[in-house]
Amino acid sequence: MDANAILTTTLALMQGLGVVLLLFAVVLAASMPLGFFLTLLARCRILPVRWIVNAYIYVIRATPLMLQLFFIYFGLPYINKALTFSALTAALLGYSLNYAAYFAEIFRGGLLSVDKGQYEAAKVLGLNRVQATIKVILPQMFRVALPSITNESITLVKDTALVFSITIPEIIYYAKAAVSRTGNVYPYAIAFLIYLAVNSLLQWFFNWLERKTAY
Amino acid sequence: MQLIEVKDLKKGFGTVSVLTNICFTVNQGDVIAVIGPSGAGKSTMLRCLIDLEQVDGGSIFVESEPLVKDGIYPSRTSRRKITAKMGMVFQNFNLFPHLSVRKNLIMPLMTVKKVSQSDAETLALQMLSKVGMEEKIDAMPNALSGGQKQRVAIARALMMNPDILLFDEPTSALDPELTGEVLAVMKQLASDRVTMIVVTHEMSFARDVATRVLFMSDGCITEEGLPQELFSAPKHPRTQAFLRSVMEN
Ligand SMILES: Nc1ncnc2c1ncn2[C@@H]1O[C@H](COP(=O)(O)OP(=O)(O)OP(=O)(O)O)[C@@H](O)[C@H]1O
Ligand SMILES: [Mg+2]
Repeated sequence: MDANAILTTTLALMQGLGVVLLLFAVVLAASMPLGFFLTLLARCRILPVRWIVNAYIYVIRATPLMLQLFFIYFGLPYINKALTFSALTAALLGYSLNYAAYFAEIFRGGLLSVDKGQYEAAKVLGLNRVQATIKVILPQMFRVALPSITNESITLVKDTALVFSITIPEIIYYAKAAVSRTGNVYPYAIAFLIYLAVNSLLQWFFNWLERKTAY
Repeated sequence: MQLIEVKDLKKGFGTVSVLTNICFTVNQGDVIAVIGPSGAGKSTMLRCLIDLEQVDGGSIFVESEPLVKDGIYPSRTSRRKITAKMGMVFQNFNLFPHLSVRKNLIMPLMTVKKVSQSDAETLALQMLSKVGMEEKIDAMPNALSGGQKQRVAIARALMMNPDILLFDEPTSALDPELTGEVLAVMKQLASDRVTMIVVTHEMSFARDVATRVLFMSDGCITEEGLPQELFSAPKHPRTQAFLRSVMEN
């Protein structure tokens, strides 16, 4: 086992990193707004809308992500041929829908933590509901939710390992392949370090964001 | 000129009646002190005026336009237009904690009235100097004392150029040594002929600054009069009892 072999293996694993980063970026960008939308719908005055949204959030959180991915990738085509997705699309869809439910819960807690007086102050100053939400409520909600958002983001990076279950090769897949090729388990250690590096970077970024948005 | 007219206002929470047949008028330049025991409905009455609570019956006219007429409300847009004539200062300040003093003042004006940032900032400086807070323009609310927060809250309300200012116990959340600075600002506003309705436990403010005093108990305006009359010769037994109890403390 020489430095050259380690480099080759690391580069091989980096192919998997691309998928991880793509999933991470797209899923985070999609699931946070979607989650917030669900939070708002869960407070809607129309009761059936609330029930549906709450049931959705409940079911998603009560079942494994892997089964949800199976459902989208293998199950939906059975229901209707038009619902056949590529593995990557299915993954992006599945992760986004799943994480949206978690973010909806996080944002719900964040909203509850914003003092009623803040809505009232915004209202008596003449802000309408949309303005009050964007200028007054969201920033405060986000601040409260930030530690949980950090948590979810780190979990997301680790959860990307599940895409292998619907045939998308990612870091651990490449590590496994390298292990059987070389007959040595050190590729797993490299995978370990790659995940650690990505999440350390993420943690650092969120720490910075938390400091920056402190008041 | 009559700015506010309240007729037969009724308000309850669930089955509990909190306000019954409230009637009064507010004229330009009036400084109305609303006093009375805890639970009398003073805050609720003020919150109905600015549409933070919905009434069950009665009418509120602001500059002759109905915020609610015989218990029936117009559209949300026209209600907002009417409540825009009023500003409100809360007991807990309710400054926006994520925004600096400057942004607390300019954001609502820029958002609601689409005023340019430079115009808003010029006005913000004027309003802050009115309340003696121009030096703290870049401070965050959490870095201010209670008295400073309340003065900023007053400046923020003034930014929207209201015709009437409502205060709900503006000094009740403050340490005793900080109430003076807020009362001084309110006194200054009164001498600038700003129309105000002030719910307060500060009897000296009611006596010395108010042009009229409303005494509320059990959801009614039990007695109403000039401060010198109401304080020196209260007619109603409830008023007498209340004044006796607050003067003892
Ligand atoms: N949101 C609410 N839900 C139910 N009851 C309420 C609500 N707000 C106020 N009340 C009740 O209405 C009554 C009047 O309350 P209000 O706050 O207007 O009194 P107040 O005169 O302002 O008293 P204080 O001097 O303590 O501030 C009280 O009995 C109170 O418990
Ligand atoms: Mg009160």
